[in-house]
Amino acid sequence: MAEPTGRRVVVTGLGAVSSLGIGAPAFTAGIRAGRSGVSRIRGFDTTGFPHTVAGEVHDFAPRRLLRRLDPDEWGRSSLFAAGAARLAVADAGVRPAELSAGNAGSAIGTTSGESAVIERLTAQWVEGGFKELDPALVRQVPANRIAAAVNRELGLTGDAQTIATACSASNYALGYAYDMVRTGEADLMIGGGADSVNRWAHAGFYRLGALAEQVCRPFDVDRTGILTAEGGVALLLEEHDHAIARGARVYAEVLGYGVNCDALHPVAPDPGRIAECIRAAHRNAGVGPDDIDYICAHGTGTPTNDATEIQAVREVFGDRIPPISSIKSMIGHTMGAASGFGALACCMALYEGFLPPTATLAEVDPRLGDGVDCVPGRARAARPRIAQNHGFAFGGNNAIVILRRMS
Amino acid sequence: MTGLATRTVVEPLMITGCGVVSAAGIGLDALADAIGAGRADQPAASAFPEDAPPIPLAAVPDLKVAEHLGAKGTRHLDRTTLLALVACNRALAGLVPALPEPDRARTGVAIGTSTGSIRSSSEFSRETLVQALPYLVRANLFPNSVMNCCAARIAIVNGIRGVNATLAGGQLSSLAALRYARNVIDRGHADRVLAGGVEELSAQSAWAWHLARGLSPGTAVGEGCAVFVAESRRAADRAGRPVLAEVLACEVRSTGGDDPRHQLSTALAGCVERALRRSGVGPDDVREVAPGATGQRGLRALERRGVRAVVGGRPGEVRVAPVLGETFSAGGALQLAALIAGWRRRPPAGGVALVTSVGHDGTAGCLVVRPPAGGAERREVRR
Repeated sequence: MAEPTGRRVVVTGLGAVSSLGIGAPAFTAGIRAGRSGVSRIRGFDTTGFPHTVAGEVHDFAPRRLLRRLDPDEWGRSSLFAAGAARLAVADAGVRPAELSAGNAGSAIGTTSGESAVIERLTAQWVEGGFKELDPALVRQVPANRIAAAVNRELGLTGDAQTIATACSASNYALGYAYDMVRTGEADLMIGGGADSVNRWAHAGFYRLGALAEQVCRPFDVDRTGILTAEGGVALLLEEHDHAIARGARVYAEVLGYGVNCDALHPVAPDPGRIAECIRAAHRNAGVGPDDIDYICAHGTGTPTNDATEIQAVREVFGDRIPPISSIKSMIGHTMGAASGFGALACCMALYEGFLPPTATLAEVDPRLGDGVDCVPGRARAARPRIAQNHGFAFGGNNAIVILRRMS
Repeated sequence: MTGLATRTVVEPLMITGCGVVSAAGIGLDALADAIGAGRADQPAASAFPEDAPPIPLAAVPDLKVAEHLGAKGTRHLDRTTLLALVACNRALAGLVPALPEPDRARTGVAIGTSTGSIRSSSEFSRETLVQALPYLVRANLFPNSVMNCCAARIAIVNGIRGVNATLAGGQLSSLAALRYARNVIDRGHADRVLAGGVEELSAQSAWAWHLARGLSPGTAVGEGCAVFVAESRRAADRAGRPVLAEVLACEVRSTGGDDPRHQLSTALAGCVERALRRSGVGPDDVREVAPGATGQRGLRALERRGVRAVVGGRPGEVRVAPVLGETFSAGGALQLAALIAGWRRRPPAGGVALVTSVGHDGTAGCLVVRPPAGGAERREVRR
């Protein structure tokens, strides 16, 4: 079916609240160097857990970053999102007055919403029963507050849409934000994601046998699983002509996206449906397999995901698989923020000219087949033109975003 | 800078199917009866969660899970997912003609839920504190703790392979789902979407409302789910499906201010105005309003003020909260279902209806809905 046309959409601002640092430059420097953001968990008591590291954000000071939100009134994920959005707007050089006067909104992805808040309430429940729940914390629970926090912090009057499509949620959010700008529903949109490290996900992934002990090694022959992680990421999406007219720095153009659902299994991914999602993204973006220069993989580091992902890519690309790497090797699995960080890495790769590495890769799993270039170690200098950003999730929620370099 | 499409009339969305599960029971007739009577019958005490606070509750009386979903494969599913699965089952069962298998590849799901099943996530989290070792959780319950569980399960059970979105919009969740559905259909990502909202009554949610003092005295904490089959006009025509309602516009706004309550009625008024303009109709065309915040302290008056600023006080009100209780994420979908249920009883004489919603998070939303020409047909499957 013919794709409806519309306005061109570009990325002009990037914000990261990550384990590799605060701000897109710090994050990008970490990615290029292949640095690890993984550390011993401080966010919850790890007594009794065999695995005790995660990709936590330690140097986030919301009071220094945020101008309008009172951090005491908001959960950790909301503050991550608002902080990243504030950074993205500053990076884009958009005047605050233009944001609040214009037709601007946000779409933010998340897996577990305000999970850290829910866990504090759960502890109160265990301790003293439901009647002991702190009402101030109760008010912080609804996940819709994550996008609402962005709108409140920036004074945005359009959509405030939290999208809770688990670990592909940022790509879902970016797709929605792209459509809003493309169709003229909005002139500026913040797209991104946020999630917090929490006990229950740590326990759940451990019980599934999907949690690595110390190091996440996507595509490696010795990979053992994910590391749980957290952070907030935001991309400012803007109409192309408007960006050019104000002399904005343009990191990349959003060409389109594809979304579908395996509709088969709650946790096991399906290569055929992922291949269909890749094709849908290509159709929507008006590109073909030969146009793709780099794939930012979902690459969780579980034996199943990585094998399934390569199989799906092979189904679409045949023997010419573009370089494919996983930034989860450095920051772990930031859940609902994961594909947002992937998109940010893609934007910087296209803008600065490099391929993000799979930092922890020692030996590519031979069972993945021939011709799999996972960019081991550190970033590689390159001039990718079009990048494909993967996000998959529990429940078979696949979402893929396609980005192009502006020359 | 002004957006292109915001000045133009948008493509309407055809509602060709509806499944509803509420404190009134299952189906549109039960909903119409309860709204006509001004109350739903109280179900047996066993329908209510244990450990609930001493406040009014409005539970779905009998979900008939085995009857609608079969006896197998539902044991580990939480109530949020079961409510939505039954609603989807009813929506698809009532679809004439039925949805053929090949069409399910380009059919999507968009479910509004603010926090997923807060009972599932907090109970899963609780296990990490009360078990002998913190990781002794039940792995098969882990997916229930994630907010997309419900939408994903709808896809799995019904073989629906298109876009699969979970929209956390607080009070606006259901409207967000319809807005999302309209966009993906308009942009060619899907031909039709099962779109709606779900809310589960649990001890956790009841205590949350109680402790946060969110509800007006006497308002029950409720639950329910309404799911609509939303299609493009072309898809509905091609299938030859009768239309239950046309969603002409779905607009949302945020106050963007430091104190959202202060500007909420203004934001809603702007939203209603814009929604009417984009529907190609005027304030005088509005015959009915189904407001959302009828049970919420502080919001009810703000919502009414915002609506009246645009359409005056003349349109009739269809209020669901006094009958179904506060249904939060499911609210907008149940408001729309209540309008459709009413139109099956009394064929409306032209005009349009509004479904409005405002939230404590500073968001306001408005649907403009047109009844079908000649009144809605009675096509619900009876059992």
